[in-house]
Amino acid sequence: MSMIRVENISKSFGSLEVLKDVSLTVEKGERIVIIGESGGGKSVFLRSMDLLEVPDKGSIYIGDDELTSPKADLNRIRRRVGFVYQGFHLFSHLCVLDNITLAPIRLLKMKRAEAEEKALKLLRMVGLESKKYAMPDVLSGGQKQRIAIVRSLIMEPEVMLFDEPTSALDPTMVGEVLATLRLLAKSGMTMVIVTHEMSFAREIATRILYMDEKGIYEEGTPQEIFDNPKRKKTRDFIHKMKYLSYKIDSRSFDLMQLQGSIRDFASKYGIGEKKAYRLQLCTEELIYEMLDYGKSDCVDMSLELSFDEKEKSSLIRLSSKGVEYNPFEKACDGLGDGIHGKADVSVGGDDMVHLGITILKNTARRIGYRYDAGNRENLFEIEI
Amino acid sequence: MKIKEIVYKTLISGDSYKTLLRGLGVTVQIAVFSVILGSLLGIAVCAMRRSRIWPVRKAASLYIAILRGSPVLLLLMLMYYVVFASSHVSPTFVAIVAFSLHMSAYSAACFYSAIEATDKNQVEAARTLGFSKYQAFFLVTLPQAAAIAKGTYQSTIVTLIQWTSVVGYVTITDLTRVINNISSRTIEPLFMIVIGLLLYLGLSYLCYGIFALVDRLSSLKEKPLKKTPLKKEASGNEHDSG
Repeated sequence: MSMIRVENISKSFGSLEVLKDVSLTVEKGERIVIIGESGGGKSVFLRSMDLLEVPDKGSIYIGDDELTSPKADLNRIRRRVGFVYQGFHLFSHLCVLDNITLAPIRLLKMKRAEAEEKALKLLRMVGLESKKYAMPDVLSGGQKQRIAIVRSLIMEPEVMLFDEPTSALDPTMVGEVLATLRLLAKSGMTMVIVTHEMSFAREIATRILYMDEKGIYEEGTPQEIFDNPKRKKTRDFIHKMKYLSYKIDSRSFDLMQLQGSIRDFASKYGIGEKKAYRLQLCTEELIYEMLDYGKSDCVDMSLELSFDEKEKSSLIRLSSKGVEYNPFEKACDGLGDGIHGKADVSVGGDDMVHLGITILKNTARRIGYRYDAGNRENLFEIEI
Repeated sequence: MKIKEIVYKTLISGDSYKTLLRGLGVTVQIAVFSVILGSLLGIAVCAMRRSRIWPVRKAASLYIAILRGSPVLLLLMLMYYVVFASSHVSPTFVAIVAFSLHMSAYSAACFYSAIEATDKNQVEAARTLGFSKYQAFFLVTLPQAAAIAKGTYQSTIVTLIQWTSVVGYVTITDLTRVINNISSRTIEPLFMIVIGLLLYLGLSYLCYGIFALVDRLSSLKEKPLKKTPLKKEASGNEHDSG
């Protein structure tokens, strides 16, 4: 017996078609992660499974209840499905305990004492028992999200839907929410999750759906999707997830934007604060070294960052078009001169000027340089 | 003593204080009925303002715009000299009708904006748990909207009390009219006006006091409920250890 059956649904907002003839069957115990570009219809698809978006065509079944039937008892069917939002949406006028017990007391006619006992048990599970009388506005994002999860769980749903549950959280709080999701997964809960947390998706999913072109573009096991995607757009998306690419074509490029994307990239892979800073620093120094001393008339660089989860190391790849120039060699020479006792003001000055290179040398695990004469490209590989 | 004489002349001689109290009674009567009827009507207008049907919604907005945009005194005169001109109803009744209409427009606007200010996402979250539209409204939207509306609603009432001072125009002997009568009869306007101001001030504070009391009572009602699980827990622990 399938848990959720979506049959050929389509949905448009005005003239914008978001979903076209999409079908999906979720079996009991499956954990499905939906990935894809923003605006690709992931959220709309997920929301339609709880009829928060009403599809224009097609039908949706929860177990054997048809959600899209005009005669459907929506309120009863919705109890079977838990929904967790990106923005938590706790009831702001109620304390944590009342937030959780409101539905079981009113809808399941549970006795208050019984409901509270059950709520406390669940709160204990997510480590928030001490917050039972707190009002939502004093809680952190991560705490709010764990409570929102408990609020759904107390209704004993048969399937839980998560709409980007960690996207509104500080990087420091993502972990606690993911831990809660892992706990749920372990308990055998059927889950459908929309997320941008790729490493989490790989770890928790039994099946990954990549959504694009108004539907499920490609699906498969995490290994299939992440390591060996078959179709072009999936490949591009996965590549973009794994690599941060940046083009620099002007001396006055937007450094702040680049630093921002490096930060985002780092937080996506759970790269620590210190390492993220080093990554930013090294990237910046390398780019400016090439901009200032690269001796090329036009600026044409492309940068690619990647992170190896096994080695826990990040790799900076920079290609800079122009004449051959290896700043590491040059700085070495300067240093060598100094050692040979010929140090004078100019050498010291040179060392100061190439301070960036010194920083890079001290920070990087490995520095590689190669000049591709055919393409007139300086190629750097710096591992951090 | 001069003060003694003034007090005697204005308040005691000829049972003036009784007239004063009667005037106060009329003011309170008009205010209380107008607030109650006006608020009930205001709820209805607010519901219409939130209707899914376009003409109903539009009619409600128009009603609110017209009544809020016209002086309450003109509304009162319209009622007294035109609408109820040929019917033999008491002027006080006419005043209550006029002020109720006035109050309904202000309270409808107040309720509407408070409901609009609540977080719709929380309603949707309630729906995902299985609550119906009405349950979600009464359990989530209403308590939050009430908290938002409270301040404006309170000052609307206080303003209404003060505006009732114009009913003298349509032959009603309310507090202001009595003050006016006594001060012109005794030629002690300053004293009487101060008395009048104090009485209106008293009414306003009474109104704030009632709100504060309701607040206190509702929070008292919630507290014992929140304390129960604590005891339950303690006794549960005893069982565990025993």
